[in-house]
Amino acid sequence: MRTKWLALSLAWVFAVTLAGCGSSQSSGDADVIRIGQAVALTGDSSMWGQAEKNALEMEVEKINAKGGVLGKKLKLIAYDTRADATEAVNVTKRLLGEGVVGIIGPGQSGVAIAMSSVTEPGKVPLIATTATNPKVTMDDKTSKVRKYSFRTCFIDPFQGTVAAQFAAKELKARTAAVIYDVGSDYSAWLGKYFIAEFERQGLKVVANEAFRSGELDFRAILGKVKEAGPDVLFIPTMQKEAALVMKQSADLGIKARFLGGDGWGSPDLITLGGSAVEGAYFVNLASLDDPDIQNFIKDYKEKYHQDPILPNPVMAIDGLYALIDAITRANSTDPVKIAEQLEKTKDLPVLSGKLTIDPVTHDPLNKPAVIQEVKDGKFIFKAKFVTQ
Amino acid sequence: MLIQTLVTGLAIGGIYALMAVGYSLVFSILNFSNFAYGSIIMLGAYVGYYLLMKAGLPLAVSVAGSVMGAAFLCYLNERMAYSTLRKRNAASLYFMISAMGTAIFLENLVYATIGSRFYAFPEIITQQNITFWGASIGVLDVFAIVFSFTAIYMLHYFLQHSRVGIAIRAASYDMQVCQLNGVNITRLVGWVFLLAGALAGLSGMFLGMKYMVYPTMGWITNKAYIAAVIGGLGSLPGAVVGGLILGVLETLVSTYVSSVIRDVFSFSLLVVLLLVLPTGLFGKYLEEKV
Repeated sequence: MRTKWLALSLAWVFAVTLAGCGSSQSSGDADVIRIGQAVALTGDSSMWGQAEKNALEMEVEKINAKGGVLGKKLKLIAYDTRADATEAVNVTKRLLGEGVVGIIGPGQSGVAIAMSSVTEPGKVPLIATTATNPKVTMDDKTSKVRKYSFRTCFIDPFQGTVAAQFAAKELKARTAAVIYDVGSDYSAWLGKYFIAEFERQGLKVVANEAFRSGELDFRAILGKVKEAGPDVLFIPTMQKEAALVMKQSADLGIKARFLGGDGWGSPDLITLGGSAVEGAYFVNLASLDDPDIQNFIKDYKEKYHQDPILPNPVMAIDGLYALIDAITRANSTDPVKIAEQLEKTKDLPVLSGKLTIDPVTHDPLNKPAVIQEVKDGKFIFKAKFVTQ
Repeated sequence: MLIQTLVTGLAIGGIYALMAVGYSLVFSILNFSNFAYGSIIMLGAYVGYYLLMKAGLPLAVSVAGSVMGAAFLCYLNERMAYSTLRKRNAASLYFMISAMGTAIFLENLVYATIGSRFYAFPEIITQQNITFWGASIGVLDVFAIVFSFTAIYMLHYFLQHSRVGIAIRAASYDMQVCQLNGVNITRLVGWVFLLAGALAGLSGMFLGMKYMVYPTMGWITNKAYIAAVIGGLGSLPGAVVGGLILGVLETLVSTYVSSVIRDVFSFSLLVVLLLVLPTGLFGKYLEEKV
């Protein structure tokens, strides 16, 4: 009996340690402006998360070297969300406890939506980087804009529309199949928007298959796709799943063209997918060969000795500029006033071009989307679409 | 489509079988589920990847290196995490807690040192498929199945015919009596972990080549555990049959019901089996195996 209790208490201690008990520190000095960053530093999305953090650290250093903002230095406080909604909510509470004026990140829609349950009542602006689901800034229950949620990227309906139109017009597809991650808001909705636009064009979706997050073997559902024989297979997932789907499609002898969203935009797609990803197309937010961001890429490479993993760092820096611009215009570090000014952001020169925030939706207006092709193991710029 | 589903199911089941055999081997001697096994598989994959990509060794040498590396790590795992418990005659609950701790420790060690990046093996075995009766299967899969079954058969032969093998089989019935008859149990357990580790290295290589290499890849061994339960924990032929059955059943569920509920199905199967058929298909004796 005694040993049993000991074992149980051991297991309990273990579980508590695992859950991690973070305590918030009180904020002391008043001559710094604290900017929070909630970003995935470990886990499946850490590659972008790390680049996002690196990029912001680099920019904050530059801004501080020029004297900071409102005569104060900026201090970046970055915490790891592991791209997990529960973890992100904890991290957000901690950031609010440390008195940040705004939070930049996360890159995942589900995480951003979860975080807004803390930032809305806490009245601190949240600027998501690559969270492309409409619900990030719009609350579906009230169908009103979330007052403190913003973003610097385009939204999924637009991305899904671009992909569907590209499939119909450029790839001349008559039928399509979709494979999506049921555990990701990003993937599920992007799939739906693609289907809506594809069918609106009078074309047919012959298979729509879901899988669970973390899946490795897609051959069972690919067997169904093979049976349906679509012209195009749309895979609105992250690069890891996309690469596996394409590899395993080759195993099954599926002949469809592959198409994806901005989740693919990592050089990993090519190393993981090998020859199977050749000739695939995807919609992206930014491209390494974009002339506007060459200076940033040069600085980043000098500091970190590697290419930034796009598009997250670019979107994060856009967010930082927008936040600084709002602080300057508000002439205050009160998060409520900053949020009011963020809503009025207009034609602000940012890294990816000019940023105008739509006050009705808190989404950027006229954000360009890039279509890239995988060719000879590289991402090649293919076409550009602009939102209206 | 049914043939394609069955072929895919067998390909997946083959990998489950290989891992399940490693699980069962440890269970048959120490009567606990070695949850750290998944991490050993993961480390085996990393070893193979480094030998192939960084050291530039040929594939066959890398596979051998991965097998030896994982065998050594598995042995070390026993020495460091279980041997003291074993000498104290601790209850299997302690072994399992220690195993879970080791699993999480190793996983986080990889996160902290190597990082969370995904690595993929280059396409050494060409991305081609073999088609028959309208069903397709990758060349790598065929290769993996043949190789796995050869390895399992060699293990089987070793257990049946060598002195160490006979001692292992004896210990799986009763460790104490075996010890009384003059068998050095510490050395025997060392052998078992070396063998299980060798299979882990092989599984790691195949998993890495088929999917990719990353810190949490070892969690797929949950499925191997279910496969081992289907076949009867501790039974090696049971582990093979259990792996194949689970692979085929899962693929059938994914294809004809939904891929989303596949794991719901697999783990329900685990619970139901433990309730209804705790010895599995080939389990030997009831009270001590579950």
